[in-house]
Amino acid sequence: MRRIQSAINTASPDFRQNRDHYRRLVAELHEKQSTARHARPERDIARLERQGKMLPRERVEKLLDPGTPFLELSTLAANMDYEGESPGASIITGIGIVSGREVIIHADDSSIKGGAWYPLSVKKIIRCLDIALENHLPVIHLCDSAGGFLPLQSEVFPDRHMAGRIFRNQCLLSKAGIKQLSLVFGQCTAGGAYIPGLSDYNVIVRGTGAVFLGGPPLVKAATGEEVGVEELGGADMHTSVSGTCDYPAASEEEAIAIGREIVAQWDRPQKWACQREEPADPYYDPEELYGILPDDIKKGFDIREVIARIVDGSRFHEYQPNYGTTLVCGFANIWGWKVGILGNNGVLFNDSSLKGAHFMELCNQNNTPLVFLQNITGYMIGQAYERRGITKDGAKMIMAQTCSRVPKFTVMCHGSFGAGNYGMCGRAFDGRFLFGWPGHQIGVMGGEQATNTLADVKIAQMRRNGETFDPEVIEELRETTQSAYLEQLSAYYSTSQIWDDGILDPVDTRNALGMAITSSLNAPLGDSGYGVFRF
Amino acid sequence: MALKLTMDDTAYALDIESLRPELKVEIDGRKRSVIDEGTRDGFRIIEIDGRHFEFSQARDGNRVFLRLGGRNWIIDLIDPRDAAGEAGNATDEIRAPMPGAVVTVHKEAGSDVKHGETVLTIESMKLQTNLVSPRDGIIASFLKSVDDTFEKDEVIVTLETEASDA
Amino acid sequence: MRPTALPFTKVLIANRGEIACRVEDTLKEMGITSVAVFHDSERKARFVQLADEAHEIVGETPVAAYLDGGQIIEIALSSGAEAIHPGYGFLSENADFARQVSEAGLVFIGPEPASIELMGDKITSRKFAEEHGVPVAQSVLTDGDLDGFVKKASAIGFPLLIKASAGGGGKGMSIVHSADELAESARVAASEAERYFADSTIYAERYVEKPRHIEVQVVGDGNGNVVHLFERECSIQRRFQKIIEEAPSAGLADELRDRICEAAVRLASAANYRNAGTVEFILAPDGAFYFLEMNTRLQVEHPVSEMITGIDLVRMQIEIAAGLPLGVSQDDIGVSGHAIECRICAEVPERDFMPATGKVLELDPPAASHIRFENGLVEGHYVTLSFDSMLAKLVVHGENRKAAIDCTVEALRETVLLGVETNLDYLSRVADHPVFRDGALHTGFVTEHEQDLVAPPPDEMERDAALLAAALAFREFRTLVFDAPDPYASMGGWRN
Repeated sequence: MRRIQSAINTASPDFRQNRDHYRRLVAELHEKQSTARHARPERDIARLERQGKMLPRERVEKLLDPGTPFLELSTLAANMDYEGESPGASIITGIGIVSGREVIIHADDSSIKGGAWYPLSVKKIIRCLDIALENHLPVIHLCDSAGGFLPLQSEVFPDRHMAGRIFRNQCLLSKAGIKQLSLVFGQCTAGGAYIPGLSDYNVIVRGTGAVFLGGPPLVKAATGEEVGVEELGGADMHTSVSGTCDYPAASEEEAIAIGREIVAQWDRPQKWACQREEPADPYYDPEELYGILPDDIKKGFDIREVIARIVDGSRFHEYQPNYGTTLVCGFANIWGWKVGILGNNGVLFNDSSLKGAHFMELCNQNNTPLVFLQNITGYMIGQAYERRGITKDGAKMIMAQTCSRVPKFTVMCHGSFGAGNYGMCGRAFDGRFLFGWPGHQIGVMGGEQATNTLADVKIAQMRRNGETFDPEVIEELRETTQSAYLEQLSAYYSTSQIWDDGILDPVDTRNALGMAITSSLNAPLGDSGYGVFRF
Repeated sequence: MALKLTMDDTAYALDIESLRPELKVEIDGRKRSVIDEGTRDGFRIIEIDGRHFEFSQARDGNRVFLRLGGRNWIIDLIDPRDAAGEAGNATDEIRAPMPGAVVTVHKEAGSDVKHGETVLTIESMKLQTNLVSPRDGIIASFLKSVDDTFEKDEVIVTLETEASDA
Repeated sequence: MRPTALPFTKVLIANRGEIACRVEDTLKEMGITSVAVFHDSERKARFVQLADEAHEIVGETPVAAYLDGGQIIEIALSSGAEAIHPGYGFLSENADFARQVSEAGLVFIGPEPASIELMGDKITSRKFAEEHGVPVAQSVLTDGDLDGFVKKASAIGFPLLIKASAGGGGKGMSIVHSADELAESARVAASEAERYFADSTIYAERYVEKPRHIEVQVVGDGNGNVVHLFERECSIQRRFQKIIEEAPSAGLADELRDRICEAAVRLASAANYRNAGTVEFILAPDGAFYFLEMNTRLQVEHPVSEMITGIDLVRMQIEIAAGLPLGVSQDDIGVSGHAIECRICAEVPERDFMPATGKVLELDPPAASHIRFENGLVEGHYVTLSFDSMLAKLVVHGENRKAAIDCTVEALRETVLLGVETNLDYLSRVADHPVFRDGALHTGFVTEHEQDLVAPPPDEMERDAALLAAALAFREFRTLVFDAPDPYASMGGWRN
């Protein structure tokens, strides 16, 4: 494999302009993350302190092995929902190392409204458990939630992908032999009680931890029985009488210490034998990504420059370098793991689509995980391309991608428009992990096209209704349509909806992919085979 | 935190900054890079910030004895579960694990007891069992005396409630 | 010269620890079968392992077992031993025991009971010394009359040293600087003497300021022949107990050395002393020396004399006990180089030398032809408070005093004895102290230099190295360091 020869001139005005722009984007990302993680009303922090509780993030840090990484997922979930009242969707999830074993952590963030679950909280927990199921990652639940957020209960409780799904996933995890440990720091009421209830092991903190289907007020209302929290579902009752919980802990620290000891007893799953080499840092400085990514969604860039700043030693074996050149395909290593990379270098044509489909088939034959680097405006349109079968060629790419047996990972680098999102393993295609960069956009079409299309529709409608055509009204309409549309295109909107697993600072991409790939290898490869390719 | 150690009545917190390629450990704010070079000529060798130290060591439970730099060092590990609170299983009561009768009462109400100290001996199914204190504390009262019988789970001894941390 | 026939075929050692090992070594060398006696608590001790035969002795306490002479004699008889070596301490200076041994038809490897009795009492021994022209510090005895005692003692002049007549080991000892303190100190000393030794007799003697402790090793054959093996200096003491001894003494003029040694030989000859003994003196800064006492046994610190003279004292003891002639004349005995002994004790120097307990987990003594590491330890040996706190003796020989000190400091540094707190590093600080190196010694040395002898605070780097080495000894830490899976472990504490 040869090192990519970068053509970037870091002294050029373009580079500097891009870099300054992207640094602002990254600064904004870090600020939003920091706020989502740490900005809490004084009274909430005081309340936790009064209860002798640690902040949820402290618990996570204490649980993790020192000197090991933590890949936090969907840090900015719900950042554009509920008027910002549920930072991170009130849930912390991520992959880390506990007692030398890879685990995924789900922690209720009790520093926000007592850890009450919003609709997106539930979505985030389910996503966390889906990741556990898909990648065979043991789960550690750090339970401290007041239960479903009542004003929004209709969006929390009944549907297929709402709260019940959490418990359904827990059962499936257990059935698949994937371990779960709950550390009960606070109250687990009603449905929440099933989280420890469905875990293989659980630890409960005396005095603050409690597990019950109905809390004391509900019990009193329902049956008139008056009973205290400790007697109803406290640590001693559950560990010595009901057997619902396994280990009582005198403090949160002890609960964590016991938890770490429990994990230390677990066997380590065998990963499948993905090809591996000694890892090496990229030859080119990943920080240069800031100057490579354009300051405008419409401007293009060479995806090889991005690959050079993510992969080991910046080395890349490019497949079919002269064919279908708008889709760059090739082999590289990330943190040692052999991967097949597909990156967009322009619109997808017939040849690039066929190349992509073929390359994915090669990777499936070769047991090589796939990494998609998206910067796509879609498949080429127009009579000539339709006549050449751009739709059926795009369909082949989507078929090959969907039916891939190897784990898939997607990074939304820049634009993700139209059906290109599908071919390049968008969220709907069950990639193991999908991350976005702060400047990326996702939409059925680009912002300007969409605005124009929407405005045209509106104008036609006005004409049909015999309304006078007022250019000022049209311009105003264009503007409001555009700002609403652009907001929905933004990375922050995507991540707020949990359409991805979080926004990454581009320089963190190599580590994030490294962890994602490593943890994905716990699950055995799927069955090989495809549907019908239309030729 | 990776580890808490005590030496000469002073506690030291060790935290691991990074593991590979180099082990970096922070000790009370001082960062040290560490290489465990294993054993050579019967001595163990450790390299700290590029300096080699030869030493001998012996371990006894949570205590390590070292001969390093021409002096002896005695260093104790603080078990995270001990540090987190002795009262792991602490309740205010001693309950009968099985039905039976009291054989001997070893303590009296108002006396201090240590965690694990035998408070009374009971007999059940011709088997004598010692009941021990679940934590350090003071015995509040004995609800049974010698030859009294009791049922499973009956409270036999109560400890004085611990003042909760203000 | 050496007789070809064995003096004995089997000898019982009525002792334990390093001295039992020491005697066993010589017995082995001589081809004599050794018999050890042990208390249950020391079943696996080194002296038991080294012995050809070992028998259990019982007693309410381990010490009581070793003080039970009757039991030991019975074992000697039943095991077919012909002689008993008492070592030091326990029954070594018990005249009754020596007598019982003889009466049982066995040989006591030591002096005649009469000699033990004569020298065992401080009063009679001093009188005896005085009678034979050996200088004795001016002193006065209580005689049951405390008031008279105070008056007579005051007449000697201050400072005065008050001691129990039957005492030893510093018990009941005090220094009185003025007449005002005397009455009270005498009363306390008398009551302590009564308590520890069941004999309230005390005496006061002129206290020599900055005295040196000089003692002479003598050996007599009981037929009027007495030789000396030169002197030893034992001025480095803590709590009135020796911790560093050397031979010859530092910077002693030859003429003074001759006079001291000659006095010791004179005393032993007068007593027609048989076997090995030690005559202890106090040497004043002005060169005056006074008889202190005579120990009628092998001393802890005997190896330093052996190292400078090349004589095996234990072998000599055995041969004399067997009735063989001395085998050497004074002219045959010369001094070669310098020897230093350090007593490694289980104790905490920082806490006023409080005895320490623990398990010997790791023992790796320095080894070289000029080093003797006398010990009774095995790894796993549990050090209790039942016996004396001394664990081992490090004895080093050098061509001169400086070489011996350098070697001692180095050897102490190299000594690995882990599992119980010891005074190893303290000894090293004493030996390396400039004033010790200069040889300006006196029995108050460690008190005078107390501040200098406190362990210096460790170098921060060294302390961190110790902490990290300790951390790596724990599985808890090693797991974190070595079991973390890659590539995670290579990413460090990365956060996104």
